[in-house]
Amino acid sequence: MIGIEDCLSEAMSIPGALDAILVDHTSGMAVAGEGVQDPARSALGLTEAFRATLDGIALSSADGTAARIEDVIITTDTSYHLIRPMEMMFDGPLLICLRLDLEHSNLALARRRLRTITHQLIAH
Amino acid sequence: MAAPTLDAVLTGLAQKGATGSLRVGKDGILYLTRGRVSYAECADTPGVEDLLAASGRISPTRVREARQSAGTGGEGGDLLVREGVLSRGELQFCVLGATLDASFFLLESALPHQQAAPRTRYRDGDTHWLGTHWFFDVPGLFRECGRRRSRLDGVWPSAELDTRPVVPLPRIPGKHVVLTAAQWEVLLAADATATPVELARRLGRPAYSTLLAVRELASAGLLATGPEPGAPAPPEGPPGSGAPPPPEESPGSGTSAPAGRSQGASALPKRASNAAPRVVVRHPEAGQSAGQGAGQGAGPAGTSAGLPEVSGDPADMNLLIRLRDALEALQ
Repeated sequence: MIGIEDCLSEAMSIPGALDAILVDHTSGMAVAGEGVQDPARSALGLTEAFRATLDGIALSSADGTAARIEDVIITTDTSYHLIRPMEMMFDGPLLICLRLDLEHSNLALARRRLRTITHQLIAH
Repeated sequence: MAAPTLDAVLTGLAQKGATGSLRVGKDGILYLTRGRVSYAECADTPGVEDLLAASGRISPTRVREARQSAGTGGEGGDLLVREGVLSRGELQFCVLGATLDASFFLLESALPHQQAAPRTRYRDGDTHWLGTHWFFDVPGLFRECGRRRSRLDGVWPSAELDTRPVVPLPRIPGKHVVLTAAQWEVLLAADATATPVELARRLGRPAYSTLLAVRELASAGLLATGPEPGAPAPPEGPPGSGAPPPPEESPGSGTSAPAGRSQGASALPKRASNAAPRVVVRHPEAGQSAGQGAGQGAGPAGTSAGLPEVSGDPADMNLLIRLRDALEALQ
């Protein structure tokens, strides 16, 4: 069982990790970050990116049912952004957002590691 | 003490690195651990006990038992984690969420009437039964509360819905709506008598998230925002707010509410000034379609003071060559 800060350092130990941040999606607050220059700004941007994804996917889902997102992967010209929501006991979700070097990371591995880490954080 | 403000008291305690509890009027308590805020309770917001009970993981009775067996040692949180009620990460998130929620309302209620600041009473060494699981430094806490306030105002710039019963519209203006989970819960629980804070208590959700959901619903046009007291426009803001509030926050709106509003107001003049160059750009086409004579006659007069219009046609090239020759002759 790990706490919030351990969860961040675990995420940073994933090969190719550049920075990691935990964001409270409801309020758009940066809960904790590692390697992030302006956490408040990143938190706002990532919150909006995730919200746009949620809205877009909800609108485009054929059966019109509620959308549940496992993770969001965004590939830019230099890095991967991995956004993974964690349903907390109340409120939330808490987003764990990891940025990975495009050249020096293994996306499949990183996804799996991130999933394990989030399970550890909310396992009881 | 001549009624110092809550901000001043809290800042003072932070500088001393105090550990203890600060009672704020009848509204709530802030707990400090070595000068940092580690927990806060507010009469208006659900605490960790309420959230735990609302989650269905643990009964209110068991929470009380845990509280009693934890005693004054402040080990209650660890006890709950050991018993497997929730994980350490969840406990931390729960504590930080409840603390921010309570602080938002405690500090907010202290702000508008600073003259009549709530009476504060500090008890040194007092700790919360859950123990210490997350910290906020005091300036950071103030900053976050301010950020939350401007986020609310960015969604819907009027505070009048915060204290009124939530009344969903029986029929919505559009055909299709996308709701968040929190908005759904608010709509389902709204009975035209409960205020957002009362709904939050009923739902076992943080009061701030509920307030945010209510304002989002208002912004989407799903709530009765009728001006009962008399004002004709829904938001009570200055004339600039005549435009509807932005449906979604722009990245810049995290700064402050007035910024968001003035952004909306300045959009109009901006658009008007953009329109002028566009007329000029369109002019060559207009010349083609409306006949060359008419186009050339109307264009220059409208755009620039007497300078000849220039396009790719040979007459203009000749003009440019003549101009160049004349300039060279001047040297």
